[in-house]
Amino acid sequence: MSTRRSALSALVSAAVLAAPLALAGCTAGSTAMVAGGPSTLAVGFTAEPQNFDFTTTDGAAIPQALLYNVYETLVKIDSDGEITEGLAESWDVSDDRTVYDFHLRDNATFSNGEPFTASDVKFSIEQVKQDWTISLKSGMDVVDRVEVVGEHHARVVLSRPSNSWLRSMTTRIGAMFTPDGVADLANDPVGTGPYDVESRRRGDSVVLTRNPEYSRPDDPRPEPDYGTVVLKYYADATALNNALLSGGIDVISGVTAPDSVPQFEADNRFRVLQGTTNGEVVLAYNNRRAPLDDVRVRKALTYAIDRKALLQAAWGGRGKLIGSMVPPTDPWFEDLSREYPYDPERARSLLREAGHESLRLNLRIANLPYAVSSAQVIASHLKKVGVTVDIEPLDFPAVWLQQVFTDGDYDMSIVQHVEPQDITTFGDPEFYWGYDSPRVQRLLSEADTAPPREYISDMREVARTLSDDAAANWLFLFPNIVVAKNEVRGLQANQVSESFDLTGLRRQGSS
Amino acid sequence: MRGNLVVGGTLVGLVVVTALVSFVWTPLDPQAVDASVRLLGPTSDHLLGTDKFGRDVFSQLMVGAQTTLYVGIVAVGLAAAVGVPLGVLAAMGPRWLGELVMRTSDLVLAFPALLLAIMLAAVYGASTLTAMIAIGVATVPAFARVARAGTMQVLSREYTLAARAGGRSRWWIAWRHVLPNISGMVVVQSSVSFAMAVLAEAALSFLGFGTAPPTPSWGRMLQESQELLAVDVRLALVPGLAIAAVVLGFNLLGDGLRDRFDPRLEARR
Repeated sequence: MSTRRSALSALVSAAVLAAPLALAGCTAGSTAMVAGGPSTLAVGFTAEPQNFDFTTTDGAAIPQALLYNVYETLVKIDSDGEITEGLAESWDVSDDRTVYDFHLRDNATFSNGEPFTASDVKFSIEQVKQDWTISLKSGMDVVDRVEVVGEHHARVVLSRPSNSWLRSMTTRIGAMFTPDGVADLANDPVGTGPYDVESRRRGDSVVLTRNPEYSRPDDPRPEPDYGTVVLKYYADATALNNALLSGGIDVISGVTAPDSVPQFEADNRFRVLQGTTNGEVVLAYNNRRAPLDDVRVRKALTYAIDRKALLQAAWGGRGKLIGSMVPPTDPWFEDLSREYPYDPERARSLLREAGHESLRLNLRIANLPYAVSSAQVIASHLKKVGVTVDIEPLDFPAVWLQQVFTDGDYDMSIVQHVEPQDITTFGDPEFYWGYDSPRVQRLLSEADTAPPREYISDMREVARTLSDDAAANWLFLFPNIVVAKNEVRGLQANQVSESFDLTGLRRQGSS
Repeated sequence: MRGNLVVGGTLVGLVVVTALVSFVWTPLDPQAVDASVRLLGPTSDHLLGTDKFGRDVFSQLMVGAQTTLYVGIVAVGLAAAVGVPLGVLAAMGPRWLGELVMRTSDLVLAFPALLLAIMLAAVYGASTLTAMIAIGVATVPAFARVARAGTMQVLSREYTLAARAGGRSRWWIAWRHVLPNISGMVVVQSSVSFAMAVLAEAALSFLGFGTAPPTPSWGRMLQESQELLAVDVRLALVPGLAIAAVVLGFNLLGDGLRDRFDPRLEARR
């Protein structure tokens, strides 16, 4: 009896281990059926918002769902990185670049029926300065005061010229609120956008429906094609893929399993869009700690890693080689990806010069697929030049944040930096890079107040200096891969803003 | 039931030999990344093909056997080294001590091994060591129970009573009579626990809390194959079958050994 039971349990336990593989698509994540006809769109995501209040809750998931769709901003950023009109139809900047006059749409209305006016601009900007708690609110520090000039004319006065302020107004801190609509931000967002949050099922989905107040007859902006959009949240990339294949969703917002893309490309039911993001996957060198405080060692490691092969092996060749902390959609982008061609011979001689014939370094990475994959390629490449790498995956975010980001206790690390214009982090010597360059710090602080043309050249200089110093190793720019059913049109290939922008979506076949 | 013993022994022996051979020879370096040969099917150069990094799957499988056995031996060794003395003590010591040991082991049993391992990995970092310790700690109660039950049985035998009547000390009885007589049960338990340890290590590595890359591990091979299921199912099948074979092997071996050693079964025969 006992014999048969154990033999059976052996088989069962082996099957249990295999089960998550086979069933991932059926069991993990969203279970809600999408009701409604052709005017309903279901979009799949992997990161779910904890609540709807991005004024006090960090993270990318909330603005991804709400910005531009529920909350609108005075200015938007388009998929090429250009600043375009939003709730402001136009704006003027004074000659000393400290006074911005915004001319607002006169027909925008909040979903609670309140009209959008200049006093809402004043209210929203002051809210950021007073009540917001997330660290991004510092983008609003440069604002001295906001004046209500007319019902649809708001004036923002800066304490000094700033090249980054208007751009930061396209992010969540530029979202426009109404004083009557902020009582329960976590559950009931009130904005001027084309959609309104109808319901939410924790761990499953968020349902957005058309905001009846949006785009009244005199408004030139078109009504969205999709009356209802269901944002569905899944546990992992595989579950997301299976949901699209089985018809549970219409769009995958971002594929994070690059080797699974060919199956969609080969299937004529789907369209694959591939573009750029703001996410630089960075191999951080601890500039503060020996031996990586020696520029020769950092350069040697950079020469020793074949980034092209790394991108191919770790991320299926999808993504873009960059060479500095600048995505191609930033105005000061310059292709520096050829600065350190793969050259193990040169790496070895640099290491010899620095007195390190052999070296042992830890690589404390975020326990995430792109980092774990990249780390294995790096370890293999560095082994060829006599550098032994100990890979230590740390639980992300908690443990990684504490050990690497806060305590700076690491030799090398890999994480994706997704914030727009995060090149400025290299101006902070306390940041976990441990990079302390007075020149970069000076350039960065001058750049923000400099006239626009100098701004671009200053930022370019920063990017080039970082590359020259091998301050870090920019492995690749994370790709934005959107997969959608054929009839869904108007999706953006590049993910530049913080929003998964639903406003331009069209259904092929409808006019 | 000699069949169990033979099949189980063969499967286990195969893995042990593979692991031993991999110390001195593998067809290719299992950690060498080569983007130009990624995701190849089986060829003469790569008997089981290559993974998404262009690494040789067969070589990884061989070295993965090392990891599997290593974790099993250390975890089960730890559990037996702690659990058996505790169990003997619980049976021979004062009543309150026995109660304490058994209730504590109930408590540990109620705590999932995977959760313990994930907690350890979160605090001390994911590594083979934390996985082994967690699996070992979680397996201690199994050994304590088996040892206690066996000891109680031995204590009721005539030869023990005779030894006691002869004025032998408890420690002498434990050493001369109890341990030799329960060793068979401990071996059986070891084999069964070994199978569970293998499975636990694979699950932990699958979740990213076990053996750190790039050291090959069957669980992580499974994990890395996950996103490629639709592209190439071979990458999941190879480590999956290996794990299934080892687990089956150790369980069958355990059953076979039980038929040989377990005094309870002997009495029934």
